[in-house]
Amino acid sequence: MQLLQDFVTTLQFLIQGLGVTISVTVIALAVGFVLGILMAILRVYGNRPLKALAAAYSVIVRAVPVVVTIFLLYFVIASIVDLSAFWAGSLALGFASGAYQSEIFRGAIQSVAPGQMTAARAIGMSRIKAIQYIILPQAIRLALPGWRNEATLVLKDSTLVFAVGVPEMLRRAQYVSSRTLEPFLAFGAAAVLYLALTLLTNYVLGRAEDRYRMVT
Amino acid sequence: MADQPIVRIENVRKAFGPTQVLKGISLSVYPRQVVVLVGPSGTGKSTLLRCINLLGRPDSGSIWLEGLEITAPKVNEDKVRQRVGMVFQEFNLFAHLNALQNVTIGMTKVLGMHKQAAHAEGMRELERVGLADRASFYPAQLSGGQKQRVAIARALGMDPHVMLFDEPTSALDPELTGEVLEVMQQLAKEGMTMIVVSHEMSFAREVADRIVFMEGGHVVEEGSPEQMFTNPVSDRTREFLSRITDPGQDEHK
Amino acid sequence: MNELLLFAQRVLPVLWQGTIITVQLASVSLLLGVALGLPLGVLRVYGSKWVRRTVMIYITIFQGTPLLVQLFVVYYGLPQLGLTFDRFAAAYITLGLNSAAYQAEYLRGALISVSEGQMTAARAIGMSKGQAIWNIILPQALRLVLPAWSNEVVSMIKYTAVVYLIAVPDLMGQAKNLSSKYFAPIPVYLTVALFYLVLVGITYFILREVERRLQIPGLTMEG
Repeated sequence: MQLLQDFVTTLQFLIQGLGVTISVTVIALAVGFVLGILMAILRVYGNRPLKALAAAYSVIVRAVPVVVTIFLLYFVIASIVDLSAFWAGSLALGFASGAYQSEIFRGAIQSVAPGQMTAARAIGMSRIKAIQYIILPQAIRLALPGWRNEATLVLKDSTLVFAVGVPEMLRRAQYVSSRTLEPFLAFGAAAVLYLALTLLTNYVLGRAEDRYRMVT
Repeated sequence: MADQPIVRIENVRKAFGPTQVLKGISLSVYPRQVVVLVGPSGTGKSTLLRCINLLGRPDSGSIWLEGLEITAPKVNEDKVRQRVGMVFQEFNLFAHLNALQNVTIGMTKVLGMHKQAAHAEGMRELERVGLADRASFYPAQLSGGQKQRVAIARALGMDPHVMLFDEPTSALDPELTGEVLEVMQQLAKEGMTMIVVSHEMSFAREVADRIVFMEGGHVVEEGSPEQMFTNPVSDRTREFLSRITDPGQDEHK
Repeated sequence: MNELLLFAQRVLPVLWQGTIITVQLASVSLLLGVALGLPLGVLRVYGSKWVRRTVMIYITIFQGTPLLVQLFVVYYGLPQLGLTFDRFAAAYITLGLNSAAYQAEYLRGALISVSEGQMTAARAIGMSKGQAIWNIILPQALRLVLPAWSNEVVSMIKYTAVVYLIAVPDLMGQAKNLSSKYFAPIPVYLTVALFYLVLVGITYFILREVERRLQIPGLTMEG
């Protein structure tokens, strides 16, 4: 059937953009992870100015649409350093994700039982060591469900870097659509691919969750 | 007492999955009677009670309410439940409504009463259970005993012909059981037909017309309180009742 | 200082126009989301097996695909099938359908957290299933769902920004125009960020007040 043939061909073309989409997602999640944990630690354990800084970051970035953050960061980065759209876009997305991840980790750190820190200090650990070896490992496991949700969100928001010119799947879909004049097929195929990706991500991270999950 | 039973249970069986909980129960309750079901936990007493107002359905056997077979296929369950009032162990008060609204919502939405009439009637029921001054309180603001009394008022508000009580005091702190038992005793005096599942042996002794001892899904024995407590036929009855009444009973008074 | 005033004069009125469109988009889409999401949520919990499955598929599709892709499918893709919408209609439809999926899920969570005893007690006084859902379960669930719903409102305000890509002149759309017109992306986008910040802030405070007014003692998600 011609329709099915077209669909498969479209899929094949789009899948070539899969690598870009996944890379953007992974980089953004990684950047967001580092920022998120850092900010969460500052928020919970920092002194007043640091707490305020982390809070400001979290509240402000989360109040602004991700698209706006991406654009802003993109231009800021572009004015400082010469990066490709791919890197600028991914880092920008990561910066935005960091704010959400900081909330996830903040909640997780706060649900680690207070006795844990006390016990760690009692055996002579410094605060930093206690955070590193006792609090964080538990917090990360507590954060798994929320993080799984965020990972899916970042995957979906990776389409937003299309706006700064990154050749990820949605841009490819647009290209196909303008070439074949079959937009429903093109964007529908893209939707199917994204759905498969989110379901897969949910499944894989869900399994990880089951293995490492911790409930206080 | 009239000749016809108001509730007649005939050979009711019910299983939950592989477990046979009711193994052929037959029981008749006459108007204005207070029947107390006693027995070890998990022997199907609650299950039986829930069959009487069709919250659960028997697998086989039949149940008759005022001469009508309610286990017949085409029976309107909602209408049956309008005639039978039920009070639960966990109260189940409607959390988003205050005490008065809990009592009147059935009147307005199910019985179709006008708001003012329901309001007046509802306050009457609350007075009956001694809580007229708590009419605007929400369930979370009431003590356990007060919650249960509102629950009784709610059930009474539907003007039922039979009242079912499923362990009404089991979730209450000991000091609070008294106020609920008093209301139940008053109800009995006023002539309400009551079927009660309870561990409160002093209540059973003083208020019940008949005590039914259930175990293992069967009715082991039934009779008047004097007979059951002082001269039971079955050894199991004697054993159970002595175990229950012995140490804790007087502390509940 | 002069430069700043000049900038403000050029930029602020245009951004204000965009803000009005954004608020319009968000409100209408949210209402569409409620209109569809509420029944979907109830069906998801109380419907028959196939109804529940169908609703779940709808929710999975809308939650599992990016909003932007959905927007393109509706605006660019549907015309291929003969269904053409203007950019505003496409925006409302997409945002509304998307929001409905999330709202249905939130409502589902709230419905199942209303304790089962409430349904039992409602049936016990002779209410039919429908009466029980309408009079007893839903009033409680709607209060329980408020926090999640407040999140959805804020999310919606932020996600309306993507419609600029189909040339809807919302706040983000005006920002893009201004930024390329004056070659000053950073100040423009910073201002836009500020606008969103204020918008979200005001919304947050309004919602918090609403939540406070509707509160009933003892009616919380844990209860």
